[in-house]
This record gives sequence, structure tokens and C-alpha cells, in this order.
Amino acid sequence: MIKAIVDNLRGLWSLLVGLHITGRFGLGPFPVWLGLKEPESGYPQLTTHYPWKTVDDADLVTFRGPLELVPSEEDPRRSKCVSCLMCVRACPSSCLTVVKGGQGKAPAVWLNDFTLCSLCGTCVEVCPAGALRFSHDLYWVAEKREDLVNDLLARLAGAAPEKARL
Amino acid sequence: MDISLLNVIKLLLALLAIIVLLVLNSVVMVWLERKAAGFVQRRPGPYVVGPHGLLQTVADSVKLLAKQIVLPGSSDRLLFLSAPVLAMFPMFLIFLVIPYGPWLTGLEVNLGLLLILAFTGLETLAVIAGGWASNNKYSLIGAARCVSQSVAYEIPLILALLALAFMCGSLDLTVITEAQSGWVWRWNIFRQPLAFFIFVITCFGETNRAPFDLPEGESELTGGYHTEYSGMGFALFFMAEYTSMMLVSFLAAVLFFGGSNGPFINGFWWTFLKMGLFMTFMIWVRWTFPRVRFDQLLNINWKWLLPLGLLNLWVTAVVLKLF
Repeated sequence: MIKAIVDNLRGLWSLLVGLHITGRFGLGPFPVWLGLKEPESGYPQLTTHYPWKTVDDADLVTFRGPLELVPSEEDPRRSKCVSCLMCVRACPSSCLTVVKGGQGKAPAVWLNDFTLCSLCGTCVEVCPAGALRFSHDLYWVAEKREDLVNDLLARLAGAAPEKARL
Repeated sequence: MDISLLNVIKLLLALLAIIVLLVLNSVVMVWLERKAAGFVQRRPGPYVVGPHGLLQTVADSVKLLAKQIVLPGSSDRLLFLSAPVLAMFPMFLIFLVIPYGPWLTGLEVNLGLLLILAFTGLETLAVIAGGWASNNKYSLIGAARCVSQSVAYEIPLILALLALAFMCGSLDLTVITEAQSGWVWRWNIFRQPLAFFIFVITCFGETNRAPFDLPEGESELTGGYHTEYSGMGFALFFMAEYTSMMLVSFLAAVLFFGGSNGPFINGFWWTFLKMGLFMTFMIWVRWTFPRVRFDQLLNINWKWLLPLGLLNLWVTAVVLKLF
């Protein structure tokens, strides 16, 4: 009985501690505006106010966006893909279309239907050549459903000259 | 009371003012709630519509007004459509009897407290009606939770308020307010701290808000009793939530914080200020604590608040008898 009462009083104290933790930032930027707090200690906003600000590229390294092909070492315009179709077979959403028949083992067509893709990463894991990876595209927008079918070969060829892409 | 033309006009004016107050309250409080949620989670909150998102709720209400009310195929039409109305309707009567200021009361009755407690029970009925009529398992579970929850929290709530009525010797809210006039330590929060403690905990159950928002329980029940509601049906339930929030805040202000008695210059503005502060506190609590489990809620109410309420009542009675 006494133990239960003590436990409950402790619990009530922990509720007050919780209120303190949320209350520190609960007034938002007002304490800073009113000069009650230093700007740096006052209101560290954890989100990015998107249309006006964007995330730094360096912070996007951990973002796993739509699939892309890894450029080969010799020629950044060509992919490492050997057209083995392991990824197509492993894909649970059937969102990949790979057609053989390029130069050597290279594929002729490499499509990723992003309307179906669930970004599970099975294709990235299963690829024996290490030719697939997640891109860091956070702000990819399409206006039509067809635009979401991503032609990865064209994308690789287009992105190569910049070389800035991580 | 005598039914003269003057009284009827006064009542109608009071009702009109209450309707305006309730709508304004919902619009402002939804914005404040979302903004406070944003600040607590260190986001900006609504920002785009109007300066700092002030017009966000106006835009939202226009959207809700224009939306179609989808009736589930096998629902009970009459009950389904009347439940949201039933949730809002008793509120007008309740707000009539609250003494906002020394001269500002819609309708003076000498059983105000009893009337308020009786009519807040009707909100539970609205939730049951909505949950039953939806013919949806989630709605029904939400409604069932609401019933057992309301039985659990209303008894400690009534016990706590009964101690106040003992002390003031009246159920008339005006008398209870007047008994707290004078200086700040005459407020009931200092004379009945335990009753206030019970009141604060139970009022979250009364308003179906976190941490006791089990009838809604988004993560378990996909919205609980208003799962199937869309458009204005949903908006009315939403308004009812914010209205009952304002109701318990007014009750807290009138019963425990001295109502219109302030530290200086008494008047209705003190009631509204205290109401606003208490509502802000409720929002703060909502965004701090996670939802309790159902057995935890029943344990709190039956095993702790009920004995505490009885103890408080007993001590109050003994003290009143002795002194």
C-alpha cells in the first residue's frame, strides 16, 4: 500500500518532468522574439521549412530515394549492369524492366516504375555486379503518372558529365 | 422565472452570443492546438495560409463545409446523421448557465452545477449513437470505450465537485463564485486542492482528450467513433470536442479559480483569461503525454480517484461540522 502510494507520487513527479521538457519549447519562438532567451538556446527548429529552404546536399547522403545505376569505373556514362536479371526476379513489386541487348553484356533498356516501387532494396542487395544503389533525390516531382517510370540508363548518361552526384 | 418579452429577448441574445463564442472558439483553438503541437515538436506548425497560418482553420472549415457526407452502406441513417447534432446541441444549454461575470449570465438557475453535470452526460450518448449507427467495428469499440470510460471518470468528478458544493452550501454557480471573492487565497484551488487534482485528471476523460482519448485512439481504432464521418458530421464532432474543452475550462475557472474575481478589477475578463490559460494547459498536456491503456485508465479512476474523492468529501464534511 505504502509502496503503491510512493510509486504513484513518483509517477506524478515524472509527469511534471515531462511537462517541463515539452514546455521548454512549447512557446515556440516567442521567448526569443520577446528577448527572454538567447537565440541560440531558444528555439532550435528541427525541420526544414521546405518551399523556402531546402536541405543541404551533405545532409541528404543518408536519404534513400529512387533507384539509380552505379556508373562503371572506366566510363561514367555506362553502367556496371551485366543484364543478369537477378533484380527483376527478386523484385516483389515487379517494378523493374530490364532488356538485354546492349553493347557486350550491357542492357538496352532499364526502367524502374516508381509508382510500383516500394524502395525495399531487395534489388540492391541481390545485384551481383553492385550496379544498383539508392539515389539521394529528395525533391523529385512528376506531373504525370508516366513521368514516374524512370529510365535509369538515360538518367545515368545525363548525370555523368556533372560527376558531382554522390 | 417569469416569461416576459424582455426575458425571451435576453435568452435569444445569449444563445446567439454562445453560438458565436463556440464557433470562434473552435476556429481559434484548432489553430492554437496545431501551432502548439508544432512548437512542442519543434516544427513551425501551420504557416502558409494567412500570417503564421492564422487563417488555416478558416480554410479547413470551408473545405469541410463543401465536402460530401458519405453514408456507409449499412448504417442507420437517422442515428448516423443525428449523432453529431446531438453532440453539439446540449452545449448551448450548458453555456447558458455559466456565470461569466457578475452581471453576465445567460440564465440564472440555482442548480447550475447539477444541470451542467447532467447535460455533459449527453455527449456520451452522442458518441454511442454515432458509433453504433456507423455499423463499423472500430466505431463500436470506440463507443463502448467511451461508455465505460465515462462511468469511471464521472463518479470521481462528481465526488470532487460535491465537496465544493458542501463547502459553499449551494449548487448555484453564482454563489460558488461569490464565495471565492476577496483575495486570491479564497479561491477554491487553495481551499480544496485535492478536489482540484481530481478535477484536472477527470476533465481530460470528460473531454475525450489525450491522455484519455481512448474512444478516438487513432493508432488502434483508426479514429474510433468518428471513423465513418466525413464533412460536416466530422466537423461537428470536432467542434464538440473543443466545445467541451472550453466547458471544462470555464468550470475550472468558475469553480476553482474564483471565476470573475481577479487579484484586481473584477469582471468577466478574468473568467475568460482563466479559461484560456486552462485550455492552453490542456493542449500542453495533450502533446506531452502518450495515451494510457484502457486498464490503466480504469485503474486510475476506480482504485485511486474514487477513494481520494471519498476521502476528500469525508474530510470536508468533518471540517465543516467541526468549525
